[in-house]
Amino acid sequence: MSAFSYEHSPYPVRQDLQQVYRDYWSMLSHPGNWWSGTERVAIANEVRQATSCEYCAQRKQALSPYNFAGQHTHAGELDELTVDAVHRIITDQARITQDWVDSLEQTGMRPEKYVELLGIAVTVFSIDEFNRGLGLTPEPLPPAHPGEPNHYRPAQAIRGTGFVPMLPTQGATGQEADLWGDHTANVLRALSVVPDAVRGWFMVAAGQYLDMAGMMQFSGDHGRAINRMQMELVAGRVSAINECFY
Amino acid sequence: MLSLSADMTKTDVNLQMINGDSSATAGGLEYALELMVFAESLARRDEAALTTAREALASAAGSAVLVDAAAVAGNFQRMVRIADAAGIPLDERNIIATIDIREQLDLQRFGSAANSRSTTLSDRLKAVFMKPLMKFVMRRIDRKANTGNH
Repeated sequence: MSAFSYEHSPYPVRQDLQQVYRDYWSMLSHPGNWWSGTERVAIANEVRQATSCEYCAQRKQALSPYNFAGQHTHAGELDELTVDAVHRIITDQARITQDWVDSLEQTGMRPEKYVELLGIAVTVFSIDEFNRGLGLTPEPLPPAHPGEPNHYRPAQAIRGTGFVPMLPTQGATGQEADLWGDHTANVLRALSVVPDAVRGWFMVAAGQYLDMAGMMQFSGDHGRAINRMQMELVAGRVSAINECFY
Repeated sequence: MLSLSADMTKTDVNLQMINGDSSATAGGLEYALELMVFAESLARRDEAALTTAREALASAAGSAVLVDAAAVAGNFQRMVRIADAAGIPLDERNIIATIDIREQLDLQRFGSAANSRSTTLSDRLKAVFMKPLMKFVMRRIDRKANTGNH
């Protein structure tokens, strides 16, 4: 049985959605720019520990999440710093600060590694959340492919927006020309210091929500069972509960 | 985006649905209550409520609606984390375009609002003049997208 076949789902799942999930699983299992395939799959596995981590649940209630001692429930495949980064992104992202991201760099995780980790964590989480929405268990993770990360960093990435370096609004040029057109929104730039992280989530977003062209279409048929307003109601309610200002 | 899409389709929607106000779902948007409750229970990780909401949505609107709603919910569980974990501020053009919506929904109460600059008097003045222009531009973009997709 192939991954994401949804054969046992009581609710039929679109073929295109199954395919983008499969494509992302393949991408996940290969070495990235800053993490090996084994590490990338381990980050994905840690996402699943985070949602049931008792320490994260307690820390979420704490007034100061940066002065709350304890131990994460973890899979034992990653170092403490990496585990904490994955768990914080999944369970308490609204309280992530520039100081904390800077502290990662001081303790050995350069911003590019953080950004790739962020891309993996949130994309895997979005796929797991889709399954959970349908009452299904998460898809088994893929076996990792051997190889080392290539440490690619686009030369045009700069600091100045948000907590991490990213391509300038008009910086989708050269090898990154496929990312967007003449200019774009900050949320699309956010992971662009690791261009494949952007490509990964764009691909999954096109299946789960809309592709770039579809996002600029506010009325009419998007080829979905729900119209744009219904999509935005779901999007808005999820964002509000997550306390996301953006 | 909900406001923009409602405006383009001339549909009456009450934005307080975003803040979970059930009474706000009584309008022109089909399955609004079921969709709102489903999104809410998923994001709150309330498994009992999610089971009930899933069944209610599938029963009222059908499996295809449930699947697409789950996909959009999954998508935004990702997007909020990208925005907050990368600390991105609101885009400059959106600071002006969304002043009234941010105030209606009281979005300033969220901690991650600190990643964006505050609204100034100048922004408010610009909004008065620019909103009609922005609406015109968005209509043109929407028309072009609809033409391109058919």
